[in-house]
Amino acid sequence: MSTSRLHGFLSRFVDIKPGEERLALFFFFYFFFITAPYSIIKSVRDARYLDEVGSVWLPVAYFLTALIMGLVVALQSKLQVRVRSSLLIVWSLLFFMLTAAAFWHLFRHGWAWVPVAFWVWANVFIVILVTQFWILVNEVFNPREAKRLIGFFGSGGILGGVLGGVATGFLGRTRISDDLLLIAGAMLLASVLMIRLVFAGHEKSGGGRGQASAGEPPASGTGSEAGFRTCYETVRKDNYLRLLAAVVLVTGIVSTLIDWQSKNVIENTMIGRKNLTAFFGYFNAGVLIFPFFLQLLITSNFIRRFGIRTSLLIYPMILLLCSIGIAVAPVLFFAVMIKGNDKSLSFSLNQSVRELLYIPISPAVKYRAKIFIDMFLNRVAKGLGAILLMALIFIPLPFGRPFRIQLVSIWSAAFIMGWILLNIRISREYTNTVKQKLEVKWDRADRQIAEKLDLDYARLVFDTIESRERSSVLYAMHLFDLIKQDRLTPEVKLLITQKADEMRITPLGALFEAEDTNLMPATDEWLPPDVVKKEVLEILSLDVYQEVMKSYIERALASTGRENETVRMEVAKALGMLPPDSPLAAGLEGLLEETSPAVARYALQSAGKLGKREYVPALIQKLGSPMTREDALEALEKYGPRISGTLSDFLGAAEENLEVRKGVSQALARISNQDAADYLLWQLDAEEEELADELIDGLDKIRCEKPSVRFSEETVSRALHREIRGYFGLLAASRNPERRAGQKGREAGVEMDLNKRTLNVFKLLGLIYPHEDIFRAYQNVLKSTKESTAYAVELLDNTLGKDSREAVLAIVEDIPLAERIERYKALDRGARRA
Amino acid sequence: MVIRTRDKGDVIVFDIEGEIRRSEVTEATLHQLVKTQLDSGKKNILLNFQRVEFIDSFGVGEILASYISTQNLGGKLKLAKISKKLYLIFQVTMLTKVLEIFEDEQLALESFDKR
Repeated sequence: MSTSRLHGFLSRFVDIKPGEERLALFFFFYFFFITAPYSIIKSVRDARYLDEVGSVWLPVAYFLTALIMGLVVALQSKLQVRVRSSLLIVWSLLFFMLTAAAFWHLFRHGWAWVPVAFWVWANVFIVILVTQFWILVNEVFNPREAKRLIGFFGSGGILGGVLGGVATGFLGRTRISDDLLLIAGAMLLASVLMIRLVFAGHEKSGGGRGQASAGEPPASGTGSEAGFRTCYETVRKDNYLRLLAAVVLVTGIVSTLIDWQSKNVIENTMIGRKNLTAFFGYFNAGVLIFPFFLQLLITSNFIRRFGIRTSLLIYPMILLLCSIGIAVAPVLFFAVMIKGNDKSLSFSLNQSVRELLYIPISPAVKYRAKIFIDMFLNRVAKGLGAILLMALIFIPLPFGRPFRIQLVSIWSAAFIMGWILLNIRISREYTNTVKQKLEVKWDRADRQIAEKLDLDYARLVFDTIESRERSSVLYAMHLFDLIKQDRLTPEVKLLITQKADEMRITPLGALFEAEDTNLMPATDEWLPPDVVKKEVLEILSLDVYQEVMKSYIERALASTGRENETVRMEVAKALGMLPPDSPLAAGLEGLLEETSPAVARYALQSAGKLGKREYVPALIQKLGSPMTREDALEALEKYGPRISGTLSDFLGAAEENLEVRKGVSQALARISNQDAADYLLWQLDAEEEELADELIDGLDKIRCEKPSVRFSEETVSRALHREIRGYFGLLAASRNPERRAGQKGREAGVEMDLNKRTLNVFKLLGLIYPHEDIFRAYQNVLKSTKESTAYAVELLDNTLGKDSREAVLAIVEDIPLAERIERYKALDRGARRA
Repeated sequence: MVIRTRDKGDVIVFDIEGEIRRSEVTEATLHQLVKTQLDSGKKNILLNFQRVEFIDSFGVGEILASYISTQNLGGKLKLAKISKKLYLIFQVTMLTKVLEIFEDEQLALESFDKR
């Protein structure tokens, strides 16, 4: 079958990408050829044990299994780190083939110990081979791929179980009944072939999927030289793994209790061995066929649609209801329901989700954890379940034997509730673990600058140096500012007193470290700073100074032209040094109207210092020019929250200059309080396309600066969907041949607009979801490998609500363009219908 | 102030000539020019200061605003061939704590690959 036909066929059942078909099929049949022989072996095991030893001695088999499993785990863990997994899996399969043949031979002698040994061997068989299968799935596929394909692989296993069981049922009554073990061994040979094909297929695809090290033992130096103790320590030290272990422990105990609950009710309902045999025959076939279809058709879609958390809760919730049902009314209906659901869901949904929980763990840790949890702890849990069961059954109770089933059901329900709580915790931890796989690619630069730099001081130094050449008055005023801030350090003195052509070319460090350096080459009579500060402030507050300066300022304001620019700059700066209630401050209004950016700049600074309300409209107008915007923003920021109402009026005034309104948006972002956020959000809801980028940017800044500020989820969600619609509108238009012809050379522009829309989507998501998580995901989507993109998508998948999740994933997921658009169209149609 | 741009692989070099002052701005500010490059998908910017004589506080603001815009989009903005005089001022004002400054253009260009 050609690849495209194979893809067409498989895509009816599974969400498979082109290029994945062969590898997915190999995995499907690899699992099939493990579970089909196991189904035969399991039947032989049970039949031999019950017939030759008896059910009374089953607890002995449980304990021996748990004990032997510890030794096997220790051996397996040592081999796992020393041998390539491709070899280890093949060796394991060959070992089980040969030992199956050996048991076939031993059974002929009729020795009593053989069924017991075979029971243990059969359990080791399934645990080792299934664990190896899932470890390999974990290595080869990343979380996104695994989420899509895991249901398909699982259904291969279930199908194997069903066909193996049917074959056993059919052949069990024939003459070759005693040779079933040889048939199982032969099936394992097909499994060896499949594993060779899996590794060949994976290497052919460049090993690009999942962990690139598939087939290799975990890297040395990772502490993977593991024995059983190391495996245990690995789990013990990691919170996430401890939770996983706890879940497996509780699941194992619950499973044992449920098995007894169902069998007890069935035993008390059914009369006669034939009835029981027929019932179990149908029942066992049903519990495997049902999960096969569940796994093939529903599991992957269910996990994708409802996420890890819901998928984790479904199984225990159903068991809880059934267990309570048995406690209230121990009838056949509940017995069938509890056992049927336990078998069906544990093979399908629960197994798939549990394997997904392992995906974000690094390969070396995963090997050790799986060995301890899946191979060892799982068996221990069953053993503990058996001990608890014996205690509940055999300890005398005052209310007599008939109520044992109720007692066991109550205990079972209590364990299930604990299991549900553990599942909730682990789904949270899963998101954290995925998050840890994503590195922060860059820090926000504005935050970085705020932490490392005193921007006001840096600007003041530059202004001081610049003013030295222009005006001695401005120079002196800047020096005074430095003195006021206690920043006139020897270094700054040196810098500002040297003329440009005197500046030495020695590095600054050497300049300052030289002990004989004259730090003040131009001026060696500096007054003590506190004296200067005191004297200047006293002069400025004198009435007579105000009176004398009034006429000077009036003359300066009246003088126009470039030749008087310096005088006006001096006055603009000087006014900022006066007390706010000084009558001279009124002159500043005229200077704020100045067209000269140099004068306007000083006027803006002074307005910010004086903080008078009447300056605000003029300050806002200065936001319109890139030459004065930054100074106007600084001045407005100094006014603080008291002007946010005025700013919002300008922001909402459609007739106002667009650049001014964009500047107002930035000013509100700098004020950064709840009101400012509300105003920006209201304006965003007005759907003005040309302001949207600026408003979203402002909201994002507030979110970073003030995490306590809250944003209306409803309004953000509306804006989010507008951005998403805009993104897909652009994408669809770029694919339309007619529109594309009219936009030749605009490809880069479309790409740019798409990038902007994507950034806006993430900024909006950051307002209502954990900001750090959202931007971690954004950074990894933007510039990373296929792997980190997959983890970023996984993080978003587990963080976002269902309202926006699918649409956002359609933007960021690594899928073909046509599929991206189709996925969104389907979502949009659904939303419109709703 | 005159600004010319050159394409050097993944890096756009801004050759700046004159003084980055408020009074020297003609058509577009440095930050606006940098944003145009960022919008077109170029995210690595090198400001060549070989012919920059002086900058005022407005110039500092422009450089830092360009740095923030670039960095927040996952890009890099660096400076090269800055005069000793300006470097001294950058050191005193601690701008060197934030901005990456190189003596040589080639070294600066190579540094973009070393991320």
